[in-house]
Amino acid sequence: MMTKTFLKRTLLALGLGGAAISLSGCDGVSVGVGYGYGYDPFYDSMLWNDYYRNDVDVDIDIDRPDRPDRPDRPDRPDRPTKPDRPKPPVAKPPARPRPPVARPPAARPPIHRPAPRRR
Amino acid sequence: MRVLFSKALAACATVWVVGVGPAMADTPVTYTDAGKALFRFVVPDFWAVRVGGAREIEDTNLGDARAVARVIGMRPVTDDTVWMGFVSPEGVATIEDGVRYLEDIDKFLVNDADVTDISNRSIGGLPARVFRGTGRRDGRGVNFTATVIDLPRGRVAVAIAVMREGADPAYVDDLNAVFGSFRAIR
Repeated sequence: MMTKTFLKRTLLALGLGGAAISLSGCDGVSVGVGYGYGYDPFYDSMLWNDYYRNDVDVDIDIDRPDRPDRPDRPDRPDRPTKPDRPKPPVAKPPARPRPPVARPPAARPPIHRPAPRRR
Repeated sequence: MRVLFSKALAACATVWVVGVGPAMADTPVTYTDAGKALFRFVVPDFWAVRVGGAREIEDTNLGDARAVARVIGMRPVTDDTVWMGFVSPEGVATIEDGVRYLEDIDKFLVNDADVTDISNRSIGGLPARVFRGTGRRDGRGVNFTATVIDLPRGRVAVAIAVMREGADPAYVDDLNAVFGSFRAIR
């Protein structure tokens, strides 16, 4: 009888402990989904736009054509593309020692760092 | 108890698969429209992706239904100060059209938008126009970069990257990596 009660209690404790651990796994901090997608302002805003409306901001958008029904443009010829050279898994060592100062990249990336906070 | 436990486990597994799964290492995502692949990009590690689809949304006051193209949004799993999204709107064929599309969307994305820089770039080997600026959203300042990329066959891709005030500047590299991985599918 004692053993049965002990077993029951142990099982209960283990079960509760396991459930607590597994539920805490669902906690927002540990898996980062607490925020979820319930409120996703930028996503929602990207869905909503006035582009396809013709009756909005008439003063600004004068005689806007019916955009979705634009005539199909003829297919542009595909631009010639250089075939991507396959990269081997191991890079060759540089033939000459690299100069200490690298050349600036030809094209700047499109994002800049945010400006320091104004005071 | 056992039933509860297994339900909890199943719930956790679902959350992991849905919430974390799409943002694993070097994950390419292909944007398709009506079964046609338009472009692809690589999602940074530990970012969560939200994939939409073509649909109509309606203004409840005006009863005004509008078609919306697929929007793919993504952000770091543990940080909501950074967001990036792609859309290829139907009927928008050129960069100039794309700019007008942006003009009609920016007021929803940020308030008091102030474009500080406009430049022509090449993204994924394609001509693109990049708008950088600042604005406000939910009472916080945001930096945004809006891009119109000229795709083959009379389409454009609109990409918008947003960093809220206080965002870790290291995310700039992640965002640029997404642009760096951008390729049109011909």
